[in-house]
Amino acid sequence: MERSEGQGLFDVYEVFVQKSQGEFHTHVGSVVASSPDHALYMARENFLRREPGVNIWVVPREHVHATPYEETDFFAREMDRKYREVSGYSENGRLWRMFREKALSIEEIAKALEVQELQKRKSRKEK
Amino acid sequence: MSIDQREREFMERIHRGEKIEATDWMPDEYRMLLLKLIHMHAVSEIMGAYPEKEWVPKAPSLRRKLGIMAKVQDEVGHGQLLLRVAEDLAAPLGKTREDLVSDVIHGKVKFHNVFHMETKSWADAGVIGWLVDGAAIINQVALLDTSYGPYARVLKRICAEESFHMQHGENIILALAMGTEEQREMLQDALNRWWESLIFFFGPQHVTKAAQRMLDYKIRTKTNEELRQQFLNKYVPRIRSIGLTIPDPKLRYDEKEKKWIYSEPDWEKFSRIVRDNQGPKSQERIALRRFAHVEQRWVREAMMRSRDKLAVV
Ligand SMILES: [Fe+2]
Ligand SMILES: [Fe+2]
Repeated sequence: MERSEGQGLFDVYEVFVQKSQGEFHTHVGSVVASSPDHALYMARENFLRREPGVNIWVVPREHVHATPYEETDFFAREMDRKYREVSGYSENGRLWRMFREKALSIEEIAKALEVQELQKRKSRKEK
Repeated sequence: MSIDQREREFMERIHRGEKIEATDWMPDEYRMLLLKLIHMHAVSEIMGAYPEKEWVPKAPSLRRKLGIMAKVQDEVGHGQLLLRVAEDLAAPLGKTREDLVSDVIHGKVKFHNVFHMETKSWADAGVIGWLVDGAAIINQVALLDTSYGPYARVLKRICAEESFHMQHGENIILALAMGTEEQREMLQDALNRWWESLIFFFGPQHVTKAAQRMLDYKIRTKTNEELRQQFLNKYVPRIRSIGLTIPDPKLRYDEKEKKWIYSEPDWEKFSRIVRDNQGPKSQERIALRRFAHVEQRWVREAMMRSRDKLAVV
């Protein structure tokens, strides 16, 4: 009797939590459960006692396909990838200065849009 | 690849500061040491819920009841997370979750000395939250950079919750410290009861052979004594600041040696409590654990049957 439970047992489910709808589901750990439904409850009790969440995925562990850690070649960076990165174009600042302008960044554009939105709301209120 | 070469490569990974994963090859010794540590950690979290759970029905206010209930729930949650980690380590050895869970019922796994002791008053519940969790936090924070990836990740979550336990325990203590003469006495009594257990908690002063191997494998990076000294550093001044007296006349900080001098706990007494489950509350709490596990077996089995039935259809 003691052993019977030791054989079959619950299945392992990997748990992914989405904190808000603006974010992707993120892997947070795993639970054991007798069914997907049960796994969802276990996941909520284990991982969302405090943190907010809007959605949970549970995936039977054997359905996860992964790269092996030993195969580091899979992630090899065989050459310089500066040409793909922002940092590869740092000379722009110096070049723009020759035209009496400054380099521009995404963050600045986002900030400007935000300010514009605030002003719009303010003027609407005044009317 | 020969075992020797594999072991050499494994040690190189450890020295480079890489994390080891559950599916990686690892020396048996590494697996056994980790399993023993994490199994004991998991079981201690679960057994650690018992002394405090006794105070859920007796908590002095609704807010305190909710607070301590949340904390007890967290500790069981920590046990669950750690059991998952232990389970994956144990699988290649033919050990299942059922074995890991029922080992405590059969006295085959030890749990921390502090959870064998009595909680006589509400102040004991406070002292557990403040100092027992405080000591456990020092242990767990020191383990955050362990070489085993799955353990490190789970510890990160656990430590985040422990910071609530810390505030929760301190809040109970501060309320008592600012209370009536009787409340302050109750607090002092509780400290007197717990102090020796707390000093023992960190384990023997000398580095045992197993402890040395854990350091070699970077499973742990600090010795028992280093952690105990950290605990004294952090907590002695705070304990004294609220007017409590630490029940150790020998306790002092030696400026020359840069360390705390303290009376040694009764190593033999506490080792016996942990080894043979002979503490004042050991058997009672193990019996509760057995009851919970055995009496609810039919529920787990029913859930399994319903899964298997669905699978057939
Ligand atoms: Fe805990
Ligand atoms: Fe805790």
